[in-house]
Amino acid sequence: MTTDVLVIGGGAAAVQAANRLSTAEYPVTLAGPGQQQTAGKGVEVIAGATVIDVTGMPGDFTVKLASQGKAVTKKAGVIVVASELAVTPLLGAYGLTAGETVLSLSGFEALISDDAKRGKVLSGEKTVAFLAGFAQEGNPLLMKRILTCVDHLTGVTGCTAYVYINNIKVADDGLERLYKKGRDKGATYFKLQQAPSVSQDGNNLSITFHDPVLRSDIELSPDIIVCEESLTADPTHPALAKALRIDLGPMGFLQKENVHRLPVGSNREGIFVVGPGRDVENLTKSRADIDNMLLRVRALIGDGSLSVTAKAVVDRDKCVTCLTCYRCCPHGAITWDNKAIISPVACQGCGICASECPMDAIQLADFTDAEMMDRVKAAANAAGAPKIVAFCCRNSAYEAGMMAAAFNYELPKGLQMIKVPCAGKVDIQYILNALAVVDGVLVLACHTGNCKSEVGNTYAKWRVNDAYRKLEMVGIKKERLVFATLASNMAADFARIAKDMENIVREL
Amino acid sequence: MKPKKVTIIGGGIAGMTAAWELAESGVTVDLIEKSGFLGGHAIQYTCKATSECLNCGACSVEKMLKNVVENDNITVHLSTEIEEIGKASPFSVKIKKSAVFIDGAKCTNCGICFDKLKDTGLIIRGYSKNNLPLFAINPDKLADNPNSLKEICPEGAIVVNAAPAVSKLTADAVIVATGFTPFNAARKGTYGYGRFPNVINGLDMERIKRQNGFLARPSDGAPAKKIAFIQCVGSRDENLGNLWCSQVCCPYALRSAESLKHKNPDLEITVFYMDIQNTGKSFPVFYESCKNDIRFIRSIPVDIFPEENGDLRMRLFDETQGSPEMETFDVVVLSTGIMPNTENKKLSGQMGIILDADGFFAFADDLNKTATAKGGIFIAGTAQGPKTIADSMTQAGQAAAGALKYLGVTK
Ligand SMILES: Cc1cc2nc3c(=O)[nH]c(=O)nc-3n(C[C@H](O)[C@H](O)[C@H](O)COP(=O)(O)OP(=O)(O)OC[C@H]3O[C@@H](n4cnc5c(N)ncnc54)[C@H](O)[C@@H]3O)c2cc1C
Ligand code: SF4
Ligand code: SF4
Ligand code: SF4
Repeated sequence: MTTDVLVIGGGAAAVQAANRLSTAEYPVTLAGPGQQQTAGKGVEVIAGATVIDVTGMPGDFTVKLASQGKAVTKKAGVIVVASELAVTPLLGAYGLTAGETVLSLSGFEALISDDAKRGKVLSGEKTVAFLAGFAQEGNPLLMKRILTCVDHLTGVTGCTAYVYINNIKVADDGLERLYKKGRDKGATYFKLQQAPSVSQDGNNLSITFHDPVLRSDIELSPDIIVCEESLTADPTHPALAKALRIDLGPMGFLQKENVHRLPVGSNREGIFVVGPGRDVENLTKSRADIDNMLLRVRALIGDGSLSVTAKAVVDRDKCVTCLTCYRCCPHGAITWDNKAIISPVACQGCGICASECPMDAIQLADFTDAEMMDRVKAAANAAGAPKIVAFCCRNSAYEAGMMAAAFNYELPKGLQMIKVPCAGKVDIQYILNALAVVDGVLVLACHTGNCKSEVGNTYAKWRVNDAYRKLEMVGIKKERLVFATLASNMAADFARIAKDMENIVREL
Repeated sequence: MKPKKVTIIGGGIAGMTAAWELAESGVTVDLIEKSGFLGGHAIQYTCKATSECLNCGACSVEKMLKNVVENDNITVHLSTEIEEIGKASPFSVKIKKSAVFIDGAKCTNCGICFDKLKDTGLIIRGYSKNNLPLFAINPDKLADNPNSLKEICPEGAIVVNAAPAVSKLTADAVIVATGFTPFNAARKGTYGYGRFPNVINGLDMERIKRQNGFLARPSDGAPAKKIAFIQCVGSRDENLGNLWCSQVCCPYALRSAESLKHKNPDLEITVFYMDIQNTGKSFPVFYESCKNDIRFIRSIPVDIFPEENGDLRMRLFDETQGSPEMETFDVVVLSTGIMPNTENKKLSGQMGIILDADGFFAFADDLNKTATAKGGIFIAGTAQGPKTIADSMTQAGQAAAGALKYLGVTK
């Protein structure tokens, strides 16, 4: 295995990540678009690079890159993605075109930080209008930049700032204070639910909106209009996600909102996402991510050795290399030679592969099929009636059930919980076997979007639906089988679901 | 090499996360928690999922609590406060354990004390099954019931000492994660919090939802049918001098509203607000679904008037309508926010680190908000300023990474 780290990205966050890793004495390669001139001495830079393909497993990835027309292959123990935000002016959304008096936020920032230009453009009592929050929802990052511009303007003699905005995004340190400071210094904020109408006729600008309280139109002819811009995920993310075999999250970021991925995880062990790779983040937040990433890298490949015990094992005699497991593993933990191979480092032990494998060639330590069947049998023989078996994901429902018991919620006397590593481990065979010996079966998974293995709950639901079809054929009432989702803190709901099941089977 | 030792003050999500990260790196941790339970405010919250998880982070707290209580490198000191702390690393730390407490080694979590003293409120129950022991003494009620604790526990787990016990620890580094104090809604007198039973704050809502699985009206226990949320209660308030956005009350109000509505589609929910803050990167999509389910009114009501049946009347001013109207609700949730911990002054004195203009702990590096001006002392979570569970956890990780570097465990 190797302790080399590959950082993918070209901007400030990537450089910071590479430098930090290098200080911590990991051999680092920084690959991405741009030049990365500021990367530290110890960092090897591959400029203008794109990731083509990644094979191998944590501790031993092989990454194929294309850099300036050449193919480069790198070995890496860990991969860190730290892309930059894409900045797009939104002038078009307001019917504006860029010009001397119509600027995007970046344009205006450049202007006020240039002494010569600033004097020229802002001299003579200029009225500057800002437009934000109508072409998009916006975020505190953008808001801070607008508030800073307003603060600057209100310091220039004779200049007036007007801000047309929908929701003011002040959810970050110091922003409410900055917002108040601007108003105290004379800036005017018009908070509107709909975009004002904006017109641009050469250098003649005008902004109008209807004030429902005054019941009249309010018009302003500013000298300058500054228009918001969008901060979005790097447009190369979908391709990168594909090459890295990681999930693409909302809005094109490389991390799902699944809380199990926080702060810097992806669905694949050994591939981390920091800064704007995972969300709209400034450099301060990126730095916090980078420090967290360092903890995870250290935990994974810290002293150059990986010691893990296998959670899922393939029986090579049974495996027919159909690669069902390769396709269904949500953690990208499976490769193959002439038979399937599970990486013990990458495997999270969810058991989805084991339940999907048509040859029953995969067994999970602590949760073998034989053990699971024994638990079903034991549940059937336990005291209490009606007999109910609840297959409970250990991350959510099992915790909720234990909590319900500890807090004395009323539970069915005949309820037996069977812990599973993930609802995706609930084989249809377990369900059918259980229904043959008990009165009711519950399959309890995590909520959609909260499954640690992303799709374990989906598989569980499919299997329950499959079971319904089979039950229908043999004439067993489908009401005896219920699928539900829970979180670990939902003791009250656990008790309700279990009691409902008891009532149903009593009635039947 | 002798393992390094870190003292963490405050056992909320920030303190627990920092403790766990350090413990995983082989550091020995003393986790000092003033109350009888780990988990801070966030262990009291409940799931806000609809047909899907809304990423509120509440279950992450549950998970971290479990991690912490199962980790042998962490020693948890419940009902314990800092008495004194040395000037430089290695810090000598004097801690003071409350005179009256429940001994976790003896308590069997049977709940006899809780049941027997139910009427006095003297025994409180934890929020999670991983709050161990599951019961604690409520210090606020102690003075009223001096003798009732004697011989109530069959296991003899309730310790009643004459005075708090002071003991000494050493720490190579300290992390301050003492969290926040929720805004006291009674300070906004015209809302009648504390006087009108069905006016509740955000924390009340969380607890009621967690306990019942739905929002029960405090006055009669009936499921609420028409709910109003009033945003920014205590936050972004010039009159109070609270010039910050609490950052979490829009997210918790919207997510709670959506989850309540999911369970009961007939529920009518109105949110009174100034500006809606984002919940996460998929906010634009989430906000659209909120707009379908919830009525948003951009103005903050000034008064709440009680009705005889417990309902609450408010004058609402919908700017799209142009004129005010009266409307009644059966529960009003005041979206109270994050205030600096009322003890911050005292702690800042003990620690020798300064507070910022708002009363939170000041950071010394714009790029790393866990760094203080004093070597070996780090801050994390809402002790530093308002933030979500997720951000508190990220910051706690950063504080742990900072401590590891300071201690020379990492480069
Ligand atoms: C009503 C409400 C709902 C919320 N809902 C959400 C949500 O859904 N999602 C979300 O992400 N965030 C939410 N938040 C924010 C969330 O509560 C915080 O992010 C989180 O609790 C911060 O954790 P913390 O550890 O910094 O502080 P705290 O939770 O305040 O924990 C601090 C701990 O330190 C202890 N302590 C304090 N002083 C001392 C001392 N002197 N010595 C020893 N120990 C001490 C306290 O007893 C406490 O246990 C909500 C906030 C509120 C008010
Ligand atoms: S148990 Fe889960 S994570 Fe492990 S190989 Fe199978 S599907 Fe992948
Ligand atoms: S809504 Fe919150 S508590 Fe519920 S599953 Fe999602 S993150 Fe966990
Ligand atoms: S998060 Fe929303 S409710 Fe809370 S202070 Fe900020 S704007 Fe107000």
